[in-house]
Amino acid sequence: VSFRRKARRGDEPVHWPLHLFVLFIVLVTVYPLLWVVSIAFSGGQSLAIADVPPDATAWDRVRAVIPWPEHLSAENFRSLFADQPFTRWLFNSVVIAGATTVLGVFLACTAAYAFSRFRFPARRAGLMAFLVAQMFPGTLMLIPLYIIIVQWLNLGSTATGLVLVYTVTAIPFCVWMMKGYFDTIPKELEESALIDGASQATIFFRIVLPLAKPAVAVTALFSFMTGWNEFIQAATFMNREDMYTGPVGLRFFVAGFSQQWGYFAAGSIVAAIPVMLLFLFLQKYLVSGLTAGAVKG
Amino acid sequence: MARPTRPASHRRRFLIGLALAALLGAGLGASLLAGSLTAERRERAEREAVVTLSALAAVIDRASGGGTEEAAPESGFGLGEELEALDQGEAEAPAGDEGEAVRRAVERFAAGHPEVTAIRVVKFDGRKLEASTAPEDKGDKAAPRTLALAEKPVYDLGQKLRAAVEGNREGAEGAARAPEIAIERRPGGVLVLAAPVERGGEVIGMVQMEIRAGREPSAFAWLPFLAAWIAPVAALLLLSLALGERRWLLAAAAALVLVIDLWAYGRYALRVLEDERRKSTQAVAARIAEESKKAETLLAELGLDAGKPLQPTLWDVDAFRQSRGLITATGAVDEGRLGELVGADAGRMSRSVAALAVLCLALLAFVGLGWAGRTGSALREHRAAYFYALPALLAMLVLVFFPFFYGFVLSFTNANIYNTDKPVYDIWVGLQNYVDILTDFRVTRQTPEGLVWNYQNFYYTLMFTIVWTVSNVAIGVTLGLALALILNLQGFALRPVYRVLLILPWAVPNYITSLIFKGMFHRQFGVINQIIALFGGAPIAWFERPFTSFLAVLTTNSWLSFPFMMVISLGALQSIPSDLYEAARVDGASRWQQFRAITLPSLRPALVPAVILSVIWTFNQFNVIYLVSAGQPGGATEILITHSYKLAFEQYRYGYAAAYSTIIFLILFAYGTWQNRVTRATEAIA
Repeated sequence: VSFRRKARRGDEPVHWPLHLFVLFIVLVTVYPLLWVVSIAFSGGQSLAIADVPPDATAWDRVRAVIPWPEHLSAENFRSLFADQPFTRWLFNSVVIAGATTVLGVFLACTAAYAFSRFRFPARRAGLMAFLVAQMFPGTLMLIPLYIIIVQWLNLGSTATGLVLVYTVTAIPFCVWMMKGYFDTIPKELEESALIDGASQATIFFRIVLPLAKPAVAVTALFSFMTGWNEFIQAATFMNREDMYTGPVGLRFFVAGFSQQWGYFAAGSIVAAIPVMLLFLFLQKYLVSGLTAGAVKG
Repeated sequence: MARPTRPASHRRRFLIGLALAALLGAGLGASLLAGSLTAERRERAEREAVVTLSALAAVIDRASGGGTEEAAPESGFGLGEELEALDQGEAEAPAGDEGEAVRRAVERFAAGHPEVTAIRVVKFDGRKLEASTAPEDKGDKAAPRTLALAEKPVYDLGQKLRAAVEGNREGAEGAARAPEIAIERRPGGVLVLAAPVERGGEVIGMVQMEIRAGREPSAFAWLPFLAAWIAPVAALLLLSLALGERRWLLAAAAALVLVIDLWAYGRYALRVLEDERRKSTQAVAARIAEESKKAETLLAELGLDAGKPLQPTLWDVDAFRQSRGLITATGAVDEGRLGELVGADAGRMSRSVAALAVLCLALLAFVGLGWAGRTGSALREHRAAYFYALPALLAMLVLVFFPFFYGFVLSFTNANIYNTDKPVYDIWVGLQNYVDILTDFRVTRQTPEGLVWNYQNFYYTLMFTIVWTVSNVAIGVTLGLALALILNLQGFALRPVYRVLLILPWAVPNYITSLIFKGMFHRQFGVINQIIALFGGAPIAWFERPFTSFLAVLTTNSWLSFPFMMVISLGALQSIPSDLYEAARVDGASRWQQFRAITLPSLRPALVPAVILSVIWTFNQFNVIYLVSAGQPGGATEILITHSYKLAFEQYRYGYAAAYSTIIFLILFAYGTWQNRVTRATEAIA
């Protein structure tokens, strides 16, 4: 009753029940992450935070769900890099994601520049092609891509094959993003440079690209994340254990009869922290890019 | 766009067009023919080598007295009896007589065949090299001995053949047959052949033979190629003198000349190919005659009783050790069977020629009707633009649109892991895959326990995918919107902290999220069951019942997807001008009325695309399903896209899976089109 009266008077609902609700959601949200952290720092490979004896007391049961390791230890991290091929897998991921970024951003920038600055036949068709390509889920293309890359080109278990696949996955989004940004750069700058006798290439590399630096950076980071976080194509194309990428390797720890949850948790933290930071920094751009693309689609 | 208005000479354009089209047709045709001829000659060399291998096996068989055994088929390489006998003999005496006889026979066989550079006989039991004439197996490495570690590939090859024989014998339904004779082509024209050694239906070893085959010269015939290129151009040139500048007459003449040219070239190619096939079979028949004579002489020299007679006419076998049936019992060429093969060739040839004709006619029209000129001038005029756009467009063309098209073509074939190198029309099955998928309405099946869902059925999976998508998006929108409305309240304490914490799931790569939840839902050690136990409940085997399995994947996906909706809603809410609410309050509108009249309509432009996007994402949420439930139990929680993945990469039914993928794409496409229309309509109203 008091709730209602108050609400009507201030025309604002009372906050504390809402705080309770939000806190509950926050708990559910954060719990799995804390769980991973506690497994990673437990020093063991077990899936359980704490052992529950058969004649468990109430405290034993509560202890088993509190996301804090029984014995704090960084042994999993040490062993992950020293005894497991995880360093190699991370290295593969860095190389593949890095090459994807360079190639993807270069192709996307040039194409986006053409779509933004020139009017030419097939321009609309080209733009639509990028949009439609973005709609294809990569998994649907896996069978033909697998036959082409692995059986025809013999690029199975190579970085090259995966870089090619990731680049074309990243390009459409990057093109739309870069085009949007190029559209906001005033054309007058280029026109005056043209009058001063600059060539088309000079204008692109010396004037437009430096102006578009923020967008290039964002695009590059997204390309990198595409390559870094991808799982199923890497799992399909990389059959040799020494060519696994980070995601495939992490799954290897806990797939089938392998139950190395400690390594998985530690590796997840190593692999996820950089992209999580990047993501939190970038999510503003991501949202606007995604919704812009979707509205036009 | 302005078109150049220079006077166009139809005659010149059609002549150039025909010259290009005929070049394409003659060039491709000649290359294809050369390829077929080379392939045929290679196959001939392989068939001849297989005949020699069969003769070798028969000799070894007799050397061990295996010839007196009943029911040991010639193509079965009944050498196994001898190996086992040898094994038993060794238990008593260091070297059995049969083993020695085999080694002698192998040596004499190699001596009588200068082209055979090495023979190895491997026995799996004890990883033993039973006999060898390879140059490196001399002195202390001479057979019999245990295989060295470096020779593991040889042993592995034998095991692969064993697996192939056993797999083919079981003949799993729909499964592809694996080759039982391994043929490897080494540089320098050396063939390495390997065949399994059987005893009583059990594969217990392998015989491997290296043989020098002649090198095939390039089969590209220049003269017919030039004739097929020049002749039609000359013909059109003459015709055009009569036809003048009449465009459509010229087009018809050019097309006619081109079609006749290609048809004639096809006839020629067919005759050449037929000759080659006949030559092959004759060569193989000659080889059989030669080998059987040699084998008989060898057996006589070794003083071996032939026991049952040799069956050299069954030595011409394919990779599955089935007789090709091209040689009659008298050792002559079976004309009827050969005719069938040639007939199949003719069918393939006419399809190739038809495809080639379509391609060439398209090129002819493209150039002759002036489109090429227009495209060319457009390219010149906008060359800067194309220069920038082309690299990315080409990459997309090669690695997105071509694979998509290829996948579409595959969906009309029964492609599997063994036949993707075959021409598409050899494995063409038409609409069969689509019919199999779409007309199978057995969504339920009858079991002793009653009527149950048939989890492998397309419509079941489709229904599950829709339920999965709708529940996820509903939960995502509700939770995301509710949180956004709360966080948007004036003066809500700790708002930035909540926002960052609630956005975290979106930042975690979703394969990691999926594996985390897979761990947390573990039956014995998973923390979720521990929490249930804390409140006195019994642990749940999450992935053993469809409903609980669905709850597990639903929880996982809700956890990772609600922040997106929250962020979108929050952004939209913050962009609503606050004076709208003030005005409403002045008018005495309740909070609910404000929400209905102001908040919801303002949210719509942001929420609609977000919902569209999240429907597509959830529909295709591969990682969560594949990594958390993996479709357990028994495919009950499989969505379309994971099911298609398993068809392709666990059952290797590429063609069927490609059809499945195409259907998924069509569903997505239909959804996209429909959604687009709805969005446009709502935008028009709003």
